Amino acid sequence: MPNDGAPLIRRYRRLLLTYPRAYRRERGDELLDTLRDAARPGRTRPTVREAVNLIGHGLRCRLGRPASRTVVVWAVLTAVVWGLFGAAAATRVAWETARPLPDPVAARAVLSGVFPEHEIGVIEPAPALFLIYGQPLSWEALPSLLFFDGGEYGPAAVGTGVTGHPPIDPDEIVARTRQRLRDGGWQVADPLVRNAVDCPDGRCDPTNLTTLVAQRGDTILTVEVSSRTTVQDTYLWVALTRAAPLAVHPAAMAGGLLGAAIAWLVFGWASRRTEGRSVVRVTVTMLFGLALVLWWLPVLLTVPGLLRHHRTEAHPTPHPLWEWLGQPAGSLLFVVGCAAALLGLALATLPRRQPALHVGQRSATPAG
Amino acid sequence: MREPTFLILTALADGPRHGYGIVQEVATLSEQRVNLLTGTLYTALDRLTAEGLVAHDHDETVDGRRRRYYRLTPAGLTALSAQAARLRQLATAAETRLRATRPRPA
Repeated sequence: MPNDGAPLIRRYRRLLLTYPRAYRRERGDELLDTLRDAARPGRTRPTVREAVNLIGHGLRCRLGRPASRTVVVWAVLTAVVWGLFGAAAATRVAWETARPLPDPVAARAVLSGVFPEHEIGVIEPAPALFLIYGQPLSWEALPSLLFFDGGEYGPAAVGTGVTGHPPIDPDEIVARTRQRLRDGGWQVADPLVRNAVDCPDGRCDPTNLTTLVAQRGDTILTVEVSSRTTVQDTYLWVALTRAAPLAVHPAAMAGGLLGAAIAWLVFGWASRRTEGRSVVRVTVTMLFGLALVLWWLPVLLTVPGLLRHHRTEAHPTPHPLWEWLGQPAGSLLFVVGCAAALLGLALATLPRRQPALHVGQRSATPAG
Repeated sequence: MREPTFLILTALADGPRHGYGIVQEVATLSEQRVNLLTGTLYTALDRLTAEGLVAHDHDETVDGRRRRYYRLTPAGLTALSAQAARLRQLATAAETRLRATRPRPA
């Protein structure tokens, strides 16, 4: 016996919102009747399996082209990359909740406590948390940002280098620094020792660089100690940076979901809109294909290298998400991809020559 | 052809059915093994319609609710026949092998 309980129907109707509006208008009652007939008597809620099934198939229905097996792949690729872009943009916004970097006086106080036997030189203030060529992002920096210099955009640091004969042996500098940092409540990662220069042929510069990374609260201290100790060489570099604020994580989640959802809806709209219009469909498909390549290319080129880099060096705070997406280093590709996608969307908005309904809807139209 | 598709086409082989009728018939045909959910059914019907294997047949009003009936098209009938023949050939081949390996009763 069918269950015609209002709460169940209301909940089914809510789930059917995942289907496009035109489809709901045409087939919604039919789906509801089938759902109601299939429901056990007395049920007031859809089962989890039913809910997942309706959401999944509703989202699929939004893509149109019911006979296509590839449209889902393209939609997923678009939604994932825009989920990542959305998450990256949201993390950048969330970084604004971070405290400014310490001013030179505060930085000197911190560094003097850790390195009392060294002469800390001039410390320049950081004008912003993220800089490109030492300056905050501005319209003047747009050419650099777009034309493959976007990799210069990165977290700012407050620090300095110390030049001359070190008062103590470099190994002793590392050991004392570690101890003082621990005593001062810093969390210190294991030191990383590497050659100062790459030596692919095996004949290396004997100079070693020892890197120490420590974190206390939202402050990260990076120390580099060189084994080369001559009068004219810098033997100690110190830099204070900010750790990612806590707001970055929820912001990334929210931005990611929002970006993916909007991308899915827009992709589905364009897909349905170009259905049955061969010339427009082919052109829009090519433009979207080009956009996807341009969006994904920097991601695929960047992630392996950055993963290797993260594995080999201590990172109390990972590189910002946009760097993992190859941005803004690949911002030109991103912008051209967006232009191609927008052109595709503009073509999709062109009026149809004659009204053409969704294939599924056509089938639903009462015969002659 | 996947099993649910095969079962939907089979459910429509002896005449037009509405959505819930197809669900019931698929359950019967599969001896309750396949329980088609509504979302899956209509996605499959849309696809089969787009492929020209299924078409809308007629509407009926029962208890004030409009029921939409679907039927197999000639192309759907051909596709179902071809798939049935393929499955029959595979089943026959498997049975033959199984008979050869089965020990004979003493």
